[in-house]
Amino acid sequence: MVELLQQIINGAAIGGVYVLIALGLTTVFGILGIAHFAHGSVSMFGGYLTFFLVVQWGLPLLAAIACSLVVGFLLGMLIEILAYRPVRHASPINAFIVALGLTMMVEGLNLEFFGHEQVVIPTNLDRIFSLAGVTITELRLYVILSAAFLILAMTLFVEKTKTGQAIRAVAENRDAAILMGVNVSTIPLIVFAISTALGVCAGVMVGSLFAIAPGIGENLVVKGFAVLILGGLGSIPGAIVGGLVLGITEALAAGFLSSAYKDVIAFVVMILVLLFRPQGLMGKH
Amino acid sequence: MDLIIRKSWIILAIFALALIPYFITVKYYLHLSILALMWVITAQGQNLIQGYTGYVSIVQAGFMGIGAYTTALLGVHFDLPVWLTITLAPIITAVFAVATGYPSLRVKGHYFAIVTLAFNLVIFIVLMNWHDLTQGEAGITGIPKPGGKESIFNWRDRVTYYYFVLIISVVMTFLAAILIKSRIGKILIAIRQNEDLVGAIGISAWKYKLFAFVTSAFYAGLAGALYAHYQSFINPEIFGVAQSLDAILAVIVGGSGTIIGPFIGAFFVVFLPEYLRFADSFRLIIYGLVLVLATIFMPRGIVGVANSVRAYIARR
Repeated sequence: MVELLQQIINGAAIGGVYVLIALGLTTVFGILGIAHFAHGSVSMFGGYLTFFLVVQWGLPLLAAIACSLVVGFLLGMLIEILAYRPVRHASPINAFIVALGLTMMVEGLNLEFFGHEQVVIPTNLDRIFSLAGVTITELRLYVILSAAFLILAMTLFVEKTKTGQAIRAVAENRDAAILMGVNVSTIPLIVFAISTALGVCAGVMVGSLFAIAPGIGENLVVKGFAVLILGGLGSIPGAIVGGLVLGITEALAAGFLSSAYKDVIAFVVMILVLLFRPQGLMGKH
Repeated sequence: MDLIIRKSWIILAIFALALIPYFITVKYYLHLSILALMWVITAQGQNLIQGYTGYVSIVQAGFMGIGAYTTALLGVHFDLPVWLTITLAPIITAVFAVATGYPSLRVKGHYFAIVTLAFNLVIFIVLMNWHDLTQGEAGITGIPKPGGKESIFNWRDRVTYYYFVLIISVVMTFLAAILIKSRIGKILIAIRQNEDLVGAIGISAWKYKLFAFVTSAFYAGLAGALYAHYQSFINPEIFGVAQSLDAILAVIVGGSGTIIGPFIGAFFVVFLPEYLRFADSFRLIIYGLVLVLATIFMPRGIVGVANSVRAYIARR
């Protein structure tokens, strides 16, 4: 029982990372109908940048994260303008190919700037708390808390603010949104900026919890898409539920079955959900 | 008359391909040409599901892996003749595709792409971790060459293998062309254009989609088997998602939904990264950039550009 709780808490931390990645993917998908495959590599760029600022420039961790967030914001807008805007009216396959090309470029840039060694962002958060036999490291606790905070902030932003309303309006009915006076060329910019910033946060979490290395980003984006499929494409509650389900499934699979096959088990769960609920756990039919 | 010109073009192109070994002086380019011809087979399969049916599948390299490991394991463990294992490999791959296609084809568009991608990851993880069967990362060595001991051809010679793969890839291209011209092909194109309409006139689209998916797997399995016997060594490395993306690129860059497109595209994805070797670590960046620019400025691929140029000349 203690073991089970322990694995669930471990799963909640990685699940939180998945939710952050999936939130970015799902808002981009909702607005533009694009499978933004480069999201994982861009997130890893944010993680690398934070590592670089902390280790090479000696910035304090929080300042480094803030800098990376600003860079992430701008990078997201740049990607929208340069790569996705030109293919907006082409078929979705073309946007997907652009996303693949972009992934290669960002992976290449990561290699060029940061090398192919795996890096871990130093945090010095290694106190350990324990309650009734279940232990949690300080770092993991902060990751869970800040993921929860970001998820809440994002949900409130989309639900309560005027910009959030505009984003939902464009996702629901683009033409009607235009008629209601929503500026449909700035909305994608905002969505990409916010999504990329969330991705950067996820990248920092992965970089401090585990490690960043070439190829991790692609793995992460696939997990992010698996979350979307689990939860339902374009749905924010779906991304939250799906991310936690995937993270906890993985942790349980690694703890009780086999750590080599944990991803296989996670994907099997995804495919089972798809067989019985093709629209996802929270998706509308 | 127009038909005769087109037919003669095809014969000329095949003739040119047959002459390639006589003009290539660097052995390495012959090696790349053989790989490119194998990629032609994979790309033709990819084109059936992606170009004609409109469903982007990201599992082609995984299917190549199943084909390659099937032929290798059957050959090494059961000592079956090579021609038999090469024939069995695509069939077994197709059986796998039925099992994976059934759940994944319940969903459309991006969902389908991502589910197939997950399948590719699963195949890769299993190949890596099922040590007893696949030897994991170390891979399988000593896969026999075709022909056995008393063959009239020298199978260790790359030129022999070049012609062997050339014949198979041309035959598979013709089969794809015949399929597309048939009623089935027309239905596949109709599914791409308007799937709801296909359903509305009483055709159960999912059967045809499954057929296209399974056929694409058959092509990939065959290419994988040819690869295994050519290299005599396989490990999971070249059956990952990155290689599945190459299959998609071959179709897009060459010209999606055309018969000649994947043929050109396959040579492109094999040779371009080699030519970019001089750029060393910038290679990935340039390759990605070429891809983005090609999609933005020539969305219908090389064949599309060639057609526009021809139309422009004809108008003048």
